[in-house]
Amino acid sequence: MRWFGFGFNAFGQICVQEEAESSSNAANEVKVISPTELSSHGDRSGCRGRICRIRASWSSRACLHLDEESCACLAGFATFISSEFRGCKDAFITESFLTLAFPDRVESWDLQKKEKTPSWTMEIKTQSESSDVNLPLVPGGYVALKPPIYHSLSPRLKAKSLALGAEHSILLTATGVVFTWGMGSHGQLGHGDLTSEEEPRAVEALWGMPMSSVASGGWHSVCISDGGDLYVWGWNERGQLGLPSRGLRKTAQQQQQNSSQQAGASCQEASTSSCEGLQEEQKHEEVFISIQAFPALLDVAPSCEIQTVSCGSRHTAAVTTVGDLYTWGWGDYGQLGHQTLASLDEPQRVEFFKTEQMRVVDVVCGTWNTFAAAVKEEVACT
Amino acid sequence: MASLWSKISAILPPNEDQFPLQFSDKVESSVVEMLKWSRQQLYHDTVSTSHMLLAQIILDISWERLNTGTWRHVDKEWRRVYSYGCLFKVASLCRNSPTEDDILEAVRTCDMGLLMGAAIMDNILQRIVRILQNKIRKAAKEEAEDDHAKVKRIKPESRLFPVIKEELAVPRLKCPSLENFNRNYLLPLKPVILEGVIDHWPAFNKHFWSIEYLRSLAGCRTVPVEVGSRYTDEDWSQTLLTVNEFIDRYILNRDGVKTVGYLAQHQLFDQIPELKEDICFPDYCCLGDGDEDNITVNAWFGPGGTVSPLHHDPQQNFLAQVVGSKYIRLYSPEDTDKLYPHQSQLLHNTSQVEVENPDTERFPLFAEVPYLECVLHPGDVLFIPVRHWHYVRSLELSFSVSFWWS
Repeated sequence: MRWFGFGFNAFGQICVQEEAESSSNAANEVKVISPTELSSHGDRSGCRGRICRIRASWSSRACLHLDEESCACLAGFATFISSEFRGCKDAFITESFLTLAFPDRVESWDLQKKEKTPSWTMEIKTQSESSDVNLPLVPGGYVALKPPIYHSLSPRLKAKSLALGAEHSILLTATGVVFTWGMGSHGQLGHGDLTSEEEPRAVEALWGMPMSSVASGGWHSVCISDGGDLYVWGWNERGQLGLPSRGLRKTAQQQQQNSSQQAGASCQEASTSSCEGLQEEQKHEEVFISIQAFPALLDVAPSCEIQTVSCGSRHTAAVTTVGDLYTWGWGDYGQLGHQTLASLDEPQRVEFFKTEQMRVVDVVCGTWNTFAAAVKEEVACT
Repeated sequence: MASLWSKISAILPPNEDQFPLQFSDKVESSVVEMLKWSRQQLYHDTVSTSHMLLAQIILDISWERLNTGTWRHVDKEWRRVYSYGCLFKVASLCRNSPTEDDILEAVRTCDMGLLMGAAIMDNILQRIVRILQNKIRKAAKEEAEDDHAKVKRIKPESRLFPVIKEELAVPRLKCPSLENFNRNYLLPLKPVILEGVIDHWPAFNKHFWSIEYLRSLAGCRTVPVEVGSRYTDEDWSQTLLTVNEFIDRYILNRDGVKTVGYLAQHQLFDQIPELKEDICFPDYCCLGDGDEDNITVNAWFGPGGTVSPLHHDPQQNFLAQVVGSKYIRLYSPEDTDKLYPHQSQLLHNTSQVEVENPDTERFPLFAEVPYLECVLHPGDVLFIPVRHWHYVRSLELSFSVSFWWS
């Protein structure tokens, strides 16, 4: 299994330039638009073996090696703490904290303070408690994106997994029920309105349909049903829901206008091209969605089941059961992997893996980038 | 003659060490690192594409933070980061022989920083945009058409002014004394129109506020525009346009757009200090308890047909009419329950009733509520007492200035 990364790389969290190791990081290729294999860290630290899991923030990436000796390696900004952590089973990284789960404890390092010891620790006493650790879930609660680090959760929720957005949270229970809470102004809670919720509230629209996983972007929420259907809700400002986005069309028009604009005559030209744009809208009678306050079923690709989904701040990536990777949403940093910087409001397959004859088996998104795990496709004998 | 970049460099700190980058710990170290790389690039002769890229990263990450949580609670530090992003982007645009488009983009960037950011380095974006505008004005050609005359030709029908019934008219006073205004109107919170109190404004004399004048002063500047009939409508939205674009599309109607656009409730005079010199604070504001720094001055500029639905504000208001005319109706706070305010938190200060076309089935009590009305003409100042309900419709091209004071 090989991991590939694409998108934002200003801190070298996908790949580093050979010469730039000691000098200013500004030499890193900021936008990696072509899926690039992650190099093993075997030569720099003692950490070896295949990468099993990845977690990523805006500026950093954590790799978990879980073969014989489990260990976590860091890349990007957070490497100043240490480049590896031995014995680590899981990691959760944000701009403020690096949280690590060990068999006997969970500890958080404050990335602002640059201290030699973790700023928060929690002991894991029993075997059953350790099964409560599925970061950011920890026994009794979860660790947040920014201070204060620990928040408690009612045990009645029977939390199985938790995803944290910029201003909301989405939780999946052991029985497949989805709860959301936090700010609702972008429709990200899925309760059909824009009000905020202080306490976890079940997403009623999904009642009766058990969900198998949840994911969260900055202002959008996604979940996969047991049957492999994908539900999306929240902000669609950059097409991150895969629904028609006015914001995308406007920017495309603006870019057209800017290239033909000249001072003085600008008003005349700008107004005619925008007039054409408006007429086009009226002709096709397209319905744009900027906020989706109820879960909507998204058809990622014809007759396909979704296996895994992950979100960056404003983009979404999904892997189908047949090993295709689809991405959509904001693409300014190359995070969609289609080898352009275009944003999309419709799911599109990442052709790179098809071309390389690889099956994608996992996907994890950082804030502005995407990491995909792929294996060589077995040649079918027919 | 000094080049544009040398003028901008002159107001930037002389070197990296004197360029401040101080933030509270609300701004994460990784973002500060990015800011430091940008600062380093500013003082070294590097390829500007890389500099632009770093500036855009700072703009993108701070934009995401500005959209997190309610606007009121967005930490000022993130607005400062956004302003730094704008500063670095402007530097990148203006450094190497900028084209006219680069300069316009730089002006737009300064405006985004002024609108969404928070002042940094002694309000440097305001100082830079002044330099940029001077450069543009020197290069600008004269507008051939008489835009003002054209507006009158376009919409003759909107000159149907409502006839004000004598018994419902807002009283008018010519230059009342402070004592008279205070005793008879401010203290008892009664509306009144003050005449003759802004005749001395340069907006009426030295710099008559014609469309050509506004274009020359602010044409390339970006302002927020409300699009849609009224802010209670579902399809109402806000957008950002340059003053030129706003005038062309919504005043002169050059591209045949049917919707109404209104440059409303915008602190234009903070954004364009030269315009502030054409107006003065009404003397009567001294009867309040705050000082001039606490008075909010807003511009209201739009074509005929703009509507502000019936609503009330938490401060006293002097609404000064400079260009064109407006129909205004006023209802007392005592009658609030008969005005059917919206239930939601967001619109609790706004009535559900369409004042000039009320739904008598849904709002039966509205028809009986007493009111005062007027047509406000250039030179008039309407005193709208605090929390007094008011409805405004422009009758023609109009420019008003409001002063919110306590």
